[in-house]
Amino acid sequence: MAVFLQSLLSGVLIGGVYALIGIGLTLIFGVMRVINFAQGELVMIGMYCTFFLFKLAGIDPFLSVVLTMPALFVVGAVLQRSLINRVLDALPQNQILLTIGLGLVLSNTAMLVFTSDYRILSTTYSSSSVGLGSIRLSTPLLYSFLITGAITAALYWFLARTDTGHAIRATAQDRDAAQLMGVNVRHMGVLAFGLGSALAGAAGALIAPIYYIYPQVGGAFTLKAFVVVVLGGMGSIVGATLGGVLIGMIESLSALYIASGMKELCVYVIFLLVLLLKPSGLLGKSRT
Amino acid sequence: MILALLLAASVRIGIINSVTGPEAPIGETLSNGYKLALEDLKKAGIEVEVVSEDDTGKPQIALSALEKLVTRDNVTGIVGPYSSSSANPTVKAAEKNKVPILIPTAAKEELTRMNYKYVFRIASPANGLAAAGLDATLGLGPAKKLAVVYENTDFGTSTAKTAKEYAATHGLQLVADEAYSKGSPDYRSTLTQVKSADPDVVFMVSYVADAILLMRQARELALSPRAFIGGGAGFSQPQFVAERDISEGILASTHWTKDSGWPGAKEFAERYQKRFNVDPPYHSACAYESLRIMAECAAKSNNDRDKTRACLHEGKWDGIMGPVKFVDYDGFQNQNKHPVLVTQVQQGKVVTVYPKENAVAKPIYPFKWK
Amino acid sequence: MRALLLWVIPALALALVPLWIQSPYALHIFILLFIAVALGESWNVIGGFAGQYSVGHAAWYGLGAYGAFILLLRKGIPPWFGVWAAVALAVIIALAVGWITFRLRGPYFVLASIAVAEIIRLAALNWKIVTNGAEGILGSDLPPLQIGGTVITDWNSKIPYYYLGLLMAVFCVAVNFVVKRSKLGYYLQAIREDQDAAHSLGIPLTFYKNTALGISAACTALTGSFAAFYVGFIEPQGVFGIDVSIQMVLTCIIGGIGTVTGPLLGAVVLVLLSEWLRASLAQAHLLVYGVLVIAVILLMPDGFVGFIAHRLRKKAAGR
Repeated sequence: MAVFLQSLLSGVLIGGVYALIGIGLTLIFGVMRVINFAQGELVMIGMYCTFFLFKLAGIDPFLSVVLTMPALFVVGAVLQRSLINRVLDALPQNQILLTIGLGLVLSNTAMLVFTSDYRILSTTYSSSSVGLGSIRLSTPLLYSFLITGAITAALYWFLARTDTGHAIRATAQDRDAAQLMGVNVRHMGVLAFGLGSALAGAAGALIAPIYYIYPQVGGAFTLKAFVVVVLGGMGSIVGATLGGVLIGMIESLSALYIASGMKELCVYVIFLLVLLLKPSGLLGKSRT
Repeated sequence: MILALLLAASVRIGIINSVTGPEAPIGETLSNGYKLALEDLKKAGIEVEVVSEDDTGKPQIALSALEKLVTRDNVTGIVGPYSSSSANPTVKAAEKNKVPILIPTAAKEELTRMNYKYVFRIASPANGLAAAGLDATLGLGPAKKLAVVYENTDFGTSTAKTAKEYAATHGLQLVADEAYSKGSPDYRSTLTQVKSADPDVVFMVSYVADAILLMRQARELALSPRAFIGGGAGFSQPQFVAERDISEGILASTHWTKDSGWPGAKEFAERYQKRFNVDPPYHSACAYESLRIMAECAAKSNNDRDKTRACLHEGKWDGIMGPVKFVDYDGFQNQNKHPVLVTQVQQGKVVTVYPKENAVAKPIYPFKWK
Repeated sequence: MRALLLWVIPALALALVPLWIQSPYALHIFILLFIAVALGESWNVIGGFAGQYSVGHAAWYGLGAYGAFILLLRKGIPPWFGVWAAVALAVIIALAVGWITFRLRGPYFVLASIAVAEIIRLAALNWKIVTNGAEGILGSDLPPLQIGGTVITDWNSKIPYYYLGLLMAVFCVAVNFVVKRSKLGYYLQAIREDQDAAHSLGIPLTFYKNTALGISAACTALTGSFAAFYVGFIEPQGVFGIDVSIQMVLTCIIGGIGTVTGPLLGAVVLVLLSEWLRASLAQAHLLVYGVLVIAVILLMPDGFVGFIAHRLRKKAAGR
């Protein structure tokens, strides 16, 4: 029983990080209907920023979130204005290819600049844990889960309670109607991509202390984010949150009960099943 | 050595290494070893023209690299590649093309088990790594239950297999057999399984990045066997040792240490430290000695591939890797019967603790987290 | 007829190349080129003609590779028979996958195709008894090819691979040629342009999409088998990895999707570029791919071929 709980809780904690990446992706999709295949690379940039802030300025990774998020927001906004904006009316397949190309450019530029050496970020609490009965919870994972919760809550409040948030949601719901109501949908696009990137940056800052950093790390995160978003429902933030935690749990438990090598397989099989049986996901709005 | 001085010879050697890609940091330690070897060869009067190829960590690229070296660059012999997975297809192509190849570190047993004439290896195959580590541990105290944790790649699987075979022949009970897919941020499920099996000894095979994550999570989960043994690779790297919280007390099988007592080993380490600002892992020593031996043979044989092969087959050396002779034994061909050492991280330093004739410190046992 | 000549002459020229060029390295580059062309043309059938962007075609490539290899190594079946069995396997699985995934539209189909390829890759990684897992399979020496009592080749040089590769590339181009001008091509175009309209006209969508996928998967698997024997070593990441799928897509997009010459041009550009850059940029030749794709999507969505055709048309119009 303890083994099961241990695995379950570890899965939930790491699921929080997956959720954060997924939320960024789903926000971008919701507002612009663009599936950003470079989301993982944005996380990667966040990870490198965190690493260098730590190595060069001694800033704790969890604190540096407040620096990484605005930095990635700017990066995202620039990318939106220069590239994404131009393909908003193109075929969805072409949009995907554009973001795939963007991902290749980002990861390979990082490789040229930073080399493909794995970087490891070690803090004093990297291997600490908090005891809960016979269960041990990783300290860094706990921090990241709490921060993810805070960011998600803040995002939710922003979207539900502020005018800009309402404008974003309106654009996501019906672009033309929003425009007719006076919403500057182009700005909303920039804002959404910027926010999505900022969230990716935050995820990067939170993952950096518990994983390792290298240029190609983005690919796996992008794929995981897709699973999270499809499971939760494209365009739904609560869905992405739930999806992330769910995927974290599934991964952890399948590693425990089937085999560690099979956990990714289980996730993809579930992904396929959701795509085929309920493509709108758990909480998504059905749209063709 | 004198013979080498008599020939102001010029030889052409190909090197296949992982200069870029995920194993680049280890590849760099090999490159550094090669650099030092080139300097020493020059001092001995052997001019080596090195043609270097980067396999980027991918076996197919290693294969293409070999083909290029053999057909386009006309090298006399090849040293490398680094990893078992790259060496796999490469040695076969070397044999087919009748070019002598000397493997510095790759541990997969099959590499020198295929009845090949042109394939030589200086480091011990995987079974040596497992046997030494487990022998050392069993000598420290009674142990009944063994857990094996390894990455499901060539290197991990072959080394783990030998550990499991050892357990079967030495009365150890295999209580956990966990193969993980490398690159995951979360090994907690795997480690929780291991913990629940309550092992006395945990034998692990990983490269550096995963080794660090695994040990961090092991500490976090309070997995506390009487001994942790790392089967070469990641656990011997300075990057791992530098993580003081998690490396202290970890035993590791290794092909070389600076305090092994072999001729020139200490000086090599000091020279390496001064040049590259970091302690040399065994990879550098293996690389150094491999290039030295290959170049010497190529010089003696006047760049003839078959004569070089014969020279390797018959030769004897005694350098920083200790006595080296390529023999056939136990189903291996052209394999150097290299004694595997076991080290332990004590106070942030790597010290040799086994076998007795090379040990410089007493091992700390049983294992306790700091 | 004239279009046919435009293809036959270069093909004949290529067939004569080994008489002048003996360097194994140069022949190696040609063989890489043939593989890239074959893959691009294969993908074009489903991606270009039918408009279904599969980013998981590595699945069929890998199945071709593993199928033929395993048959040779475990059952001793020579590649010239084993390949067809591997192709058949790939096609059967492809049709099954198509049947369940073709109901998905646009980006959802893309995601599903990626998931399928990853599932197959992970299965190959974990099903050690059959595939040897991460250790991969090292090809053994190929049996000499004999007809009657005469040995045609014992596979010890690059030349037989050169000719086989050329044949394969020509075959895939020919398949594209034939499909484009056939009724199938016509239906595929309708499906690509407006799926719902095609459906309302009574065109059975899944049937034709599956036909295209079957053809595409067959060609891809054939190429995968060939490439596996040529390289002599396969492992799951190398043949099922998403990079393989992405390269296939990029070849077509950059060259010109939906045309017969497009993938060919794309293959030439990408192979030559990556060989040339290997010396300076090492692995980062993918950077150039990324830049090219972005440039193509933004500036010339019809690829280089479309761009050139557009220019020629402008010139012909006398501007």
